[in-house]
Amino acid sequence: MKSKPTTLLQGTLDLLILKSLVAGEMHGLGISRRIQQITGGTFVVKPGSLFPALHRMEEEGWISSFWGESENNRRAKYYRLTKAGRKQLEVETKRWGRISWAIAEALEAS
Amino acid sequence: MPLFVKVRSFLRNLFLSRRVEVDLDEEVRSHLEMLIEENIRAGMSPKEAQRAARIELGGIEQVKAQVREERIGNWLHSVLSDCRYGVRQLRKNPGFTAVAILSLALGIGANTVIFSLIDTLMLRRLPVRNPGELVELLHKYPGEPHSNGFSLQTYQLMRQRNDVFSGLLAAAYQSLHVRGEGLEPQIVNSGLVEGSFFSTLGLNPTIGRLIGPDDDHAGQPSPVAVLSWTFWKGRFNLDPSILGKEIIVDGVTVTIVGVTPRNFSGLQVEASQDLWLPLAMEPVIIPSGPGRRWVALVGRLKPGVSMEQARAEMAVLYESTLDEDARTTGNPYIRKFKFEMEPAGAGLSFLREDFAKPLLALMAIVGLLLLIACANVASMLLARGAAREHEMAVRATLGAGRFRLVRQVLTESLLLSVAGSLLGIVLAYLGSGLLVRIILAARRVGPPLEFHVHTDAGVVLFTTAVTLLTALLFGLLPALRALRPVVAPSLRQASGSSETGSRRFFGKCLVAAQVALSLVLLSAAMQFIRHLSNLEDLDLGFQRDQLLLVSLDPQHSGLEGEQLSRAYRELLAPLEAIPGVRSVSLCGATPISGAGANRAVTVAGYEPKPGEIRNVAENWVAPKYFETLGTPLLAGRDFDLRDQGRPRVAIINQTMARYYFADRSPIGRTVSFDGDDQRYEIIGVVGDSKLYDIREPNHRIIYFNMFQEPSPCSRFVLRTNIGPATVTPQVLQTVHSVLKTVAVKRVTTMADQVDETIVPERLIALLSGWFGTLGAVLAAIGLYGLLAYTVARRINEIGIRIALGATRGNVTRMVLRDALGTVCAGLAIGVPIAFWGKRFAASLIADLPVASAAPILFGSVGMIALALLAAYVPARRAACVDPMVALRYE
Repeated sequence: MKSKPTTLLQGTLDLLILKSLVAGEMHGLGISRRIQQITGGTFVVKPGSLFPALHRMEEEGWISSFWGESENNRRAKYYRLTKAGRKQLEVETKRWGRISWAIAEALEAS
Repeated sequence: MPLFVKVRSFLRNLFLSRRVEVDLDEEVRSHLEMLIEENIRAGMSPKEAQRAARIELGGIEQVKAQVREERIGNWLHSVLSDCRYGVRQLRKNPGFTAVAILSLALGIGANTVIFSLIDTLMLRRLPVRNPGELVELLHKYPGEPHSNGFSLQTYQLMRQRNDVFSGLLAAAYQSLHVRGEGLEPQIVNSGLVEGSFFSTLGLNPTIGRLIGPDDDHAGQPSPVAVLSWTFWKGRFNLDPSILGKEIIVDGVTVTIVGVTPRNFSGLQVEASQDLWLPLAMEPVIIPSGPGRRWVALVGRLKPGVSMEQARAEMAVLYESTLDEDARTTGNPYIRKFKFEMEPAGAGLSFLREDFAKPLLALMAIVGLLLLIACANVASMLLARGAAREHEMAVRATLGAGRFRLVRQVLTESLLLSVAGSLLGIVLAYLGSGLLVRIILAARRVGPPLEFHVHTDAGVVLFTTAVTLLTALLFGLLPALRALRPVVAPSLRQASGSSETGSRRFFGKCLVAAQVALSLVLLSAAMQFIRHLSNLEDLDLGFQRDQLLLVSLDPQHSGLEGEQLSRAYRELLAPLEAIPGVRSVSLCGATPISGAGANRAVTVAGYEPKPGEIRNVAENWVAPKYFETLGTPLLAGRDFDLRDQGRPRVAIINQTMARYYFADRSPIGRTVSFDGDDQRYEIIGVVGDSKLYDIREPNHRIIYFNMFQEPSPCSRFVLRTNIGPATVTPQVLQTVHSVLKTVAVKRVTTMADQVDETIVPERLIALLSGWFGTLGAVLAAIGLYGLLAYTVARRINEIGIRIALGATRGNVTRMVLRDALGTVCAGLAIGVPIAFWGKRFAASLIADLPVASAAPILFGSVGMIALALLAAYVPARRAACVDPMVALRYE
C-alpha cells in the first residue's frame, strides 16, 4: 500500500531539494520526482510549493539555473547546486539530525 | 558570494521584471508540458493527461503568484505598484490633486520656513565641545535691550572670583583692514580673543596652532593671527604653506600660525569671523580706540553647576563690580544695570531677543495652518472615498486583503504629502530669503548682519516628520473607512445613493474643525495687525511722514569747525527753495535712530535727592528744527541764527520742564552740566517727543543751538509737501553744488527709520495676516467641496422635494442652512480656543491689545460671510435641479 503523503515541515523542503540536486543538475519536474523517489513516495512536492522554493533558493545563492534541453528535446530550466548550496546542505543536514534526534528522544520519554 | 547574488537578484527583480516574468512563465509552461508527456507515457489519453497535469500543477497563474511572493524585494515591488496606481488615481482627478498638493505645500512650506528660522536662531548647536555648557553673560539697563559688552576690568574680576565656570571667554569683535602678499586689501570681520578662548571651546586647529595663553600677555602680545577655514580656502586655496606668512592688519604686521576647524565661524549666529588675534593685540592694532575696552563674555559652566546657581553667584559678583564702577565714574545710574545669563549653546545672537517670541507665535500659527490643510485634504479624500467605494468593493471581492486596501489608500495620502512637501520646500526656499530680508531690515547700531538659513539635518528631519505626520493625519480616517466591510451593498448599487449618514457627519466635523482653526488664526492675525497699526499710529511727538533725512560726512571735505558751520548755514536757504520742501533744519541725532547722548545736569534752584539720576538726554539742533519735525513750541522762542556768539541758550521738553520746575515757568532759568563750564539759559519749552524708541516713556530732553557750538552736526532734516522721494534727487544735487567736497552718507525717510524699529511686529502681522487669510480660504474650499458633494449625492431627494412642491427658495435655504449649521458649530468650538489663543499670544508679544473681543467677532463674521459665499454655487445648483431629470437619474 502506498503511504499517505505527509505535509512538509518548514525547512525540510529546502533540505530535500538540496539533497536531490547532489546527484547532478535537474529540472523542476525531475527534482519533484527525485524527492518522491528518495522519500519512498512519502513526500509529493506540488509545483505550487516547488517553484517558490526553487526561486527563493536561487536568490539565496544556494542553487543556480540555466536553460537546457530535456530528455524529450524540450526546453527546460535546469537547476544545480552552488558552492554555497553545498555548505547549506551540510548546515541543514546537521540541523535536521538534531531535530530528528530531539523528536525521537521526546517520543521515547515516558 | 551569497550577498552579491542576493543584491543581483534584487536588482534583477526590480529593473528586469519583464524578463524575470517571461522566464517564469516559460518555466511553468514547460513544466506543465513535461507533466502531460509523463502522463501520456503512463498510458493516459491526451485529454486525460492534460486534465491530470493541470490538477497536479494547480493553475499556472497561481503558481506564478506564489513564486512572486517569495521573491527578494517583493515588498518594494508591491509598494511601487501601489505608487504607480496611486499616481494614476491622482492624475485622473487633476483638480482635486492640485488643490490638495497646493494646500499641503503651503502648510508644509510655511512650517519649514518658520522652523528653519527658529533652528538657525535658537536651536543649532555650536560646533564646539559640549555646547550645552556654554552660557552668555549679559547686562541690561531698564528699558533698553540687553547687551553683552563688559569692561575688561569687570571681566578680570569675574574671571578671578567666580566658582561656577570652568572657563570664562572674552572676545572683542572688530572689522579690520587686512592686506599682505598675494592678498587683496580688504575689510575682514575679526575676533580678538583672550588666551583660553580656543582651548575652553575645545577646538583643534585644521593646521598649525590656535591662539593660546602665551600669545595673550598684556603689554607684550605675540603678533600672531589665526584664519578661519573659509578664509583659508577662499583667499589661499587651502595652501598649507601660509603658516609663518605675514599679513598686515590695520598697519600692524602679524604672522599666520594656524587655521580654525572647518565648521567654526565664531560664536555669533549673524556674523562670522575670518581672522582671530590675541586680545592683548587690541591696543596695538587700534591705538585710538575707546579708553574703556569692551569684551563679549561667554562662560563654560563647571560640570554639575546649574544655570540658576551660576546666575545667582554671577549676579552678586556683578553687583560688586557695579559698586566699584559707580564710585570711580561717579555715575549713580550705573547701579541700575541688572545682570542676566542665557544659554549660549546655540551661539550668540543679536536678533534672538527680539525675534524669538514672535517666531514661536508664528510657529503656532503655521502649525494651525497645517492642521487646516490636513483637515481640508482629509475631507476631500473622504468625499472621494465615497466615489471610490465601488472600486474598493470590486478589489475586495477579487481577493485583495483589507490591509492591502488600507495600504493603498495610505500610499496615496503619502504621495500627496510628499508632493506637497517637495513643492513646500521650494516655497520655503523662496520664502526664507524674503523673511531674512525683512528681519535684517531691523534697526541695529553696529556693523550690518549677515544671516543665512541653511538647510541642515534638523530642518530636513523636521520637514520629513511633518510630511509623514501630515499624511497620517489626513490619510488615516479615509484609510480606516476602507477597512469597513462594504462589499455587498456597494456592488449592488453601482453608483449614487449609497450615501451614509456617518460619512457626511465626518465631513461636517472636518469642515467645522477647519472653521474653528481658521477663526483662531483670523482673530490672532487681526490682533497682530491691530497691534502693528497701533504702533504705526502712535503719537511720537513729531510728524513722521514727509520727512526726509540726509546725513552728510564732512570728514574728508577739508571743512571743519566754523567753516563747516558757515557752509551748512549757507546750504539751508537753497534747500528750502527747492519746490516741495517746506522747511529745513539740522540735528545731532535724528529721533528713533537709536543714537543719542546724555549728561548729568545741574538745574539752578533744584536740589537733587541723594541717589537721584541726574542725567538728561541731549540733542544739538539748528533753528526751525521743531517746526520742521512738527513738534509744537509750547513756551518761549525757537533758536535763532543770531544766537551765534551770544550767551548759550537751551530749549527743554515738557517732561523736563515739569520735572524740574513743576508749574513754574522755566524760561530764563539756567542749567549747567558736569564737566562743562558753560551755563545755558532756557529760552523755550517744546512738546514731548520720542527719542530712541517709539515705545519708550518720555525722556527729559534738552536741546542746544548747534550754531553756538564750535562745530556743527551733519544730519539734515527736510519737511516736504510731497513724497520725500520725489525731492531727493534735487536735494542731493543742491548739496553737491553748494558743498562740493562733502560726501552724502545716508539718505532715508523718518517713516522708514520708524518702521525699522517695529520689524518683529510687522513680520508677525504680515505673516499671520497671510496665513489667516489662507486658512480661511482653505476652510471655504473645504465647505464648498462638502456642499457640492452633498448636493450631488442628494440630487434625487432634492428632485422629489421639488416634485412634491418645494420651491427653489426652500431648496436654497436648505443648503444654506446646512452650511451655516456647520460653520456655527465650528465657530462654537473656535471662539473659546480663540480666547485662549489671545492670551497665549499676549504672553509672547508685549503690549498686545487683548482687552477687545472685536477680532474674534470680526473673525466670526468673516467666516460666516465666506461660508455663504462658498455655499452659493452648490445652493444654486440645488435650486436648479430639474425634478424630471433627477428622478430619471436612478
